[in-house]
Amino acid sequence: MYNARMRTHLGLVILCVLSAARVCSSTSAPESPRKFDCRSREKETFSCWWEPGSDGGLPTEYRLFYTQERLREVRECPDYVSAGANSCFFDKKHTSIWAEYTMTVVATNALGNASEEFRITDVMEYVKPDPPVNVTVVVNSSAPSPFLEIRWKSPPDVDVRTGWVTLKYELRVKQNDSKEWKTVDIGSETFFNFYNVYPGLLYMAQVRCKLDHGKWSEWSNTIFAEIPKNCKPTVVTEISFFYLDHQVEKIPLLMGIYILLLKRNVVKQCLLPPVPGPKIKGLNAHLLKSGRSEDVVNALMGNQNFPPVAAWTEQVEDFLLVSDSDEWLLTDSFASEKNKDIFIIPAGLHLGLEIQCRDLSVDLNTWEKTDDSKEEAKSNFLNMEPINLPVEKHEFLNGEEMSIQPLANTSYVDIQQHPTLTDYSRVKEVNDNTILILNEEEIPHGLDAEEVKSEVSVPDDYSRVKEVNSDVVFLEKGDSADKPIMPLESELSKGFCLKMIASGYVDSGPAFSVK
Amino acid sequence: MAQRRISGGKLFITGEMCTATDGERAVPVNDLLDRASQRSDKMHSLSTLLTQEMDSHFPPYGRMQMPRPADCHTSALQTPNDKEQALQVSESDLMSLARSLLQAWVDPLAVLSTSAITLPHPSKSSISSKIQELQEHSKSLADGLDILSGKMGPSAQAISFLPYTGGTDLGQDRVTILNKFNFLLSCLRRDSHKIDSFLKVLRCRAAKLQPELC
Repeated sequence: MYNARMRTHLGLVILCVLSAARVCSSTSAPESPRKFDCRSREKETFSCWWEPGSDGGLPTEYRLFYTQERLREVRECPDYVSAGANSCFFDKKHTSIWAEYTMTVVATNALGNASEEFRITDVMEYVKPDPPVNVTVVVNSSAPSPFLEIRWKSPPDVDVRTGWVTLKYELRVKQNDSKEWKTVDIGSETFFNFYNVYPGLLYMAQVRCKLDHGKWSEWSNTIFAEIPKNCKPTVVTEISFFYLDHQVEKIPLLMGIYILLLKRNVVKQCLLPPVPGPKIKGLNAHLLKSGRSEDVVNALMGNQNFPPVAAWTEQVEDFLLVSDSDEWLLTDSFASEKNKDIFIIPAGLHLGLEIQCRDLSVDLNTWEKTDDSKEEAKSNFLNMEPINLPVEKHEFLNGEEMSIQPLANTSYVDIQQHPTLTDYSRVKEVNDNTILILNEEEIPHGLDAEEVKSEVSVPDDYSRVKEVNSDVVFLEKGDSADKPIMPLESELSKGFCLKMIASGYVDSGPAFSVK
Repeated sequence: MAQRRISGGKLFITGEMCTATDGERAVPVNDLLDRASQRSDKMHSLSTLLTQEMDSHFPPYGRMQMPRPADCHTSALQTPNDKEQALQVSESDLMSLARSLLQAWVDPLAVLSTSAITLPHPSKSSISSKIQELQEHSKSLADGLDILSGKMGPSAQAISFLPYTGGTDLGQDRVTILNKFNFLLSCLRRDSHKIDSFLKVLRCRAAKLQPELC
């Protein structure tokens, strides 16, 4: 009996303790909710979720109240259900973009409540659309190489018809066994042709979108595409086919080619009979063969109006290449020398000739040191002393007279201040190809004479030259067409080069001379 | 014509001058709206990047203590706040709103620009260059909208005056300066998005026959 009573008492005590303990742990007010996040899928509605704190062991109710930037009143969440547990869904009527929401979530149970305030500065900060849908890929096998035609559609709840929303897409493609995606920014189109694919490989692709510079959506479903191996081959593949697969058919062809090669001279006679050469007035074909190309050039250009020159004469007629040295001039004595005539070619026509550029501030006498034959011409040409230069007349190959004004020297550095070149006016006709081009170190874009002439500064004295009937043109190149005409000195000090493409000055050019 | 620059804004204006002087080469209004939208899109993109860049090294310092969006100097302007409202606003009013907002940011952008140079922030040079870019876009867009609104009538040309009263000095201590800078950038982000949205609605409405422009 004693034991039974003891046991009963013990049980009651235990029950009391347990029930007391139970009562103790459940009696508490809830904790305030924490972590608040929202999302708008289409810039028209949005949902918010909170994370409940401890509920204090009692059934706890959560309610959300909010104020908007412009509203005085406090409103309650219009929809606690559509977005799931512990959420509030704001439909179109209750969604304001660019307005601040102040949300207060209140947790309430039998023993009390707790609340927390969350601020949504702008619904736009929470915009994250759904991924694009209906992503399809078609392998297009047309020439010259296969490509993937990838298409998709905008997420269904985004209204792209009104301009309220701007969707931009991003596509990524990779080989099945590769780790690296190739990503492409698409803009607002809903298709893309992806060309970087090869036959026989499996590719996978995904698309995602963002709305108005908001957050990117998740990637769409992955689509797969395999490029068939018997697609139209690339050029390389075709060649390999040719050599590997069609040998047998090509044997007779190869034999035929071999025979033709053996008898190529005969074939040449048959197929390509000699064509009578062109007849150029003043040009002797034998001259070509004799190697005296200076004759050729002279014959070609001697009496004719060299078109660029004719076009330039209006601007550049005032410029003459003049030497003050007999040796440099185109005299009969030059006929026997190959290196005395100077042919200046418009900058656009490099002719592959080596051009050496020096700053004109450098002593021009040291400009060329490569050739003895150049020395005399060089020293004369570069001797830049303003002098009164007599006009000299010389006979040339074609028997025509040519008046050459001796070359001025320092006038090229200081032309504008050149007061004494009145004798240039005597030059009526220059029948030679002495053209001097003043160039920069590099000829930027093959500037032609038209551009050059705009740079040329025109000393007054030159204006007296009535006509330049050949290629004696002095051209100067400027930095750019936009710059106004500047004094020569400053132009030159920029490192302009005195470039002369003349036989004697060029390492590899042909030797021109005028008899 | 004015000197052509690469920037679309100048081209924008040049095109418009074509419209004025040479009917054959007139640039259609749709095209002008499209260019304006692209420019406003760029502005919104820049301002978004700016706020992100600020946040990367400047976690929101007591978001509660920051000035509220209602304190933006442009908040007094009544604007549509959702799609339904925006679609009901007339074209002229949309244009007027966009122009008013754009005009309201001329002075504050200048303040931001000068402050960015000495901003106590590790990315201040990047921030500074973005703000300069914003200023350029803003100016070009304003010029373009001037011309567009001229075609739309007087109500499109009306501009609400929204003065910036924040002064040229953002503060004395680092925290104040950064707070104010951040606040201005958040206002700018909001307003640039408004401008962008209104112009894009306008563009879509004007291009009824070209749904691809929407």
